[in-house]
Amino acid sequence: MSIIFVLIPIALIFVCVGIGIFFWAVKSEQFEDLDRQGINILFDDKNKTKQDNDSTD
Amino acid sequence: MASNQGLCFHCNEVIPKGVSLHVSILGSSQAMCCQGCAAVAQTIIESGLEDYYQHRTAAAPSAQGLVPDALVKMLEYDDESVQLEFVAQNENSKEVLLSIEGIACAACAWLIEKQLSNIPGVQKIHVNSTTQRATLVWDDKQVKLSQLLQSIHKLGYNANPFQTDKQEEIDRKLYRSHLLKLGVAGLATMQVMMFAIALYGDLFEDMELIYRDYFRWVSLIMATPVLLFSAQPFYFGAYRSLKAKTLNMDVPVSIALLGAYSASLYATVNGTGEVYFESVSMFTFLLLLGRLLELRARRKASETSSNMLKLVPKLAMRIDETGQQQKVAASQLKQSDIIVILPGEVVPADGQVVFGESEFDESSLTGESLPITKKLGGKVFAGTINHEQTVHLEVEAVSQNTFIANIMRLQEQAQSEKPKIATIADSVARYFVFGLLVIAALTYTYWHFHSPENAFWITLAVLVATCPCALSLATPAALTAATHKLSKTGLLVKRGHVLESLAKVTHVVSDKTGTLTEGKLQIKHVICLGDFNEITTLNLIGALEAQSSHPIANAFSEYQGYAATNIEHHTGLGLSGEVDGKKLKLGKASFCDQTAEPIAGMLELVLMVEDKLAARVYLSDTIKKDAVSFSQGLKARGISLSMLTGDDSAQVEYVAKQLHITDIASGALPQQKLEVVKTKTQNSPHLLMLGDGVNDGPVLAAAPLSVAMGLGTDIAKSSADAVLLGSKLSTLLSAMDLAKKTKKIIAQNLAWALGYNALILPLAVAGIVTPYMAAIGMSLSSLAVLTNSLRLNKQ
Repeated sequence: MSIIFVLIPIALIFVCVGIGIFFWAVKSEQFEDLDRQGINILFDDKNKTKQDNDSTD
Repeated sequence: MASNQGLCFHCNEVIPKGVSLHVSILGSSQAMCCQGCAAVAQTIIESGLEDYYQHRTAAAPSAQGLVPDALVKMLEYDDESVQLEFVAQNENSKEVLLSIEGIACAACAWLIEKQLSNIPGVQKIHVNSTTQRATLVWDDKQVKLSQLLQSIHKLGYNANPFQTDKQEEIDRKLYRSHLLKLGVAGLATMQVMMFAIALYGDLFEDMELIYRDYFRWVSLIMATPVLLFSAQPFYFGAYRSLKAKTLNMDVPVSIALLGAYSASLYATVNGTGEVYFESVSMFTFLLLLGRLLELRARRKASETSSNMLKLVPKLAMRIDETGQQQKVAASQLKQSDIIVILPGEVVPADGQVVFGESEFDESSLTGESLPITKKLGGKVFAGTINHEQTVHLEVEAVSQNTFIANIMRLQEQAQSEKPKIATIADSVARYFVFGLLVIAALTYTYWHFHSPENAFWITLAVLVATCPCALSLATPAALTAATHKLSKTGLLVKRGHVLESLAKVTHVVSDKTGTLTEGKLQIKHVICLGDFNEITTLNLIGALEAQSSHPIANAFSEYQGYAATNIEHHTGLGLSGEVDGKKLKLGKASFCDQTAEPIAGMLELVLMVEDKLAARVYLSDTIKKDAVSFSQGLKARGISLSMLTGDDSAQVEYVAKQLHITDIASGALPQQKLEVVKTKTQNSPHLLMLGDGVNDGPVLAAAPLSVAMGLGTDIAKSSADAVLLGSKLSTLLSAMDLAKKTKKIIAQNLAWALGYNALILPLAVAGIVTPYMAAIGMSLSSLAVLTNSLRLNKQ
């Protein structure tokens, strides 16, 4: 049973990391457009080869 | 035949007969409905963006409406002085916010981003498909803004710079901070509930004290950020209400939260009594969730309406001392400058006519349905539209001093004077909180004399058990569900009080032009007196009117059978011209040397062919299809309807008669409209104002409840409490019914919540409520309230 004295604080650290990630996500506007990000992965970046110097997404 | 045959592959609209256009997409030839769609599809394919067609979830907007006119207008966005109004200048780039019409799904956003990021000079393009907006950062030296806007146009979308409105900015910040607080509360609640279950186990089976205290300390650690960070909005709300010397829902919420937390803290530190950390966290989480949903619905509304607030570049053609014409931004005009106004142009400043004469459309400013003739020395206002001929104006007032700016100031002033309406929940809360505090005090006093060591705990149990969770959810839950339902049916709610006010409306004051009527002249009667039949007559008139942008001309726009030559405008009188060598004259009866034969509420036009009377045509502004049923519907609901219009013509009487309106005020200026509504509000405080024009702005802002038409002017939409999309009046009736139903549901919710609290209160006062009973009771009562509220969203 005494293992919980170690495991629970570790769990709390995970929660803090989770909250940190959530804050970052909100601040970087991930929640501003909910339809968009989910569908983004479907598109191929075919035309990337056309312009090699284009470094944006 | 497959179902999608005969439909345009790009926009999904029916392909007109005789059109055969094809574009090869994804390896097969696809049919297109018009040149516009074909061009857009071709652009997409050529740019290597075929993926769009594979992943889109909605059809593209039809490209039919993309006229070259709009493209020319875009060049004006390149002007440095015009850009000052909406472009942010960075070190070596410029940034602009665009509102994009026609974004139907995420694939559109991708399409625009890909296409634009291929253009050299574009540094960043981010399209938000939910708000239909884009942030664009570009290098002005490499590429012009107009070129970028044109490449968006080539994809079939319409992009314009715009400004966000104040309400939206506030809502955006509030939404974000609520979202952060909700996230913290949610994650913490999950943890605390886990420990709480372990602690409830303690009730049935003795747990070693060291584990119990350990769980309590961990819960304390998790609940603290919830109390200090997530619950902040409630403390501020409570503080504001106490400062205003009233009690609102936030007061008991704050007392319960702080009380439960301090008692739990005391219990944890001393190792005695009960802890309520899970109640603190869950309570905060649920309440925040309700508020966030409400905020989201409102945000959507203000975003949609502010997307309509496009910035049209305001340029003026100035004549300098040497007689040269030069383009300048309207903001740079000075008094006594001479400017040129071409036909079809919007006047950039107030001024006096110094050369020429023409007719100006003042409908949006004054509500007058027909254009007004301005001769030498006539005053012309900024925002009106020149319909006929080129005139020169001497500028008298610019930007902040114009008539339209005065209206906007009037509107801001009216907005700030608007009475605040107390919400149902707050008026209930006032009594509830007071009662609760009295009972808690009495409980403490009683137990203090009978069992002093338990007095604090029992008092706290009273506060926690009666924790106003269900009560404070009662209103927001119902309002959220109803607001959502409203936006689906076409009424965008911009301010919080709309639903509550809508349920109480006893009097509706409506504008005429564009609100009860279509705001467009239509042909009503044609009396043929010569050798021509009706169709030929209309085609002849159509030929004469083909070049004009006058509202009368618009009524004939579909009749294009002939072409006219030598067209001459006789300002304020009519037109003359030649068709097939025959001399035509069209206009007022007096202009054609005939006696007028007027029909009530209609405009008479006389057509002469070779000086012989050929026809009399009667036009009038059509009453909206559902205006009659709207006025009947209001009557059936016991709501009176009056008309308040800036129009002064015979139209007013005619429309009023059709709709059985007896209370009419016509020819009213914005200031007078404002006064009329203010007086009316004193007699019937639950007044609804309905309008669409610039001149309605101040009244809309001042009225207790105001609704602007979706096709109305930006000023009207920004000052109203709600926007009627599609401009369908019947939506307003169903919204009123929904508001009444919402009120009923809120009452049910409140009754349930109060009933539950009344039931648990004696038990708590008697000291027999255990924390888990309180927690279960609280959750169940909240759930009941939420389920009841969701009934509003059905049907």
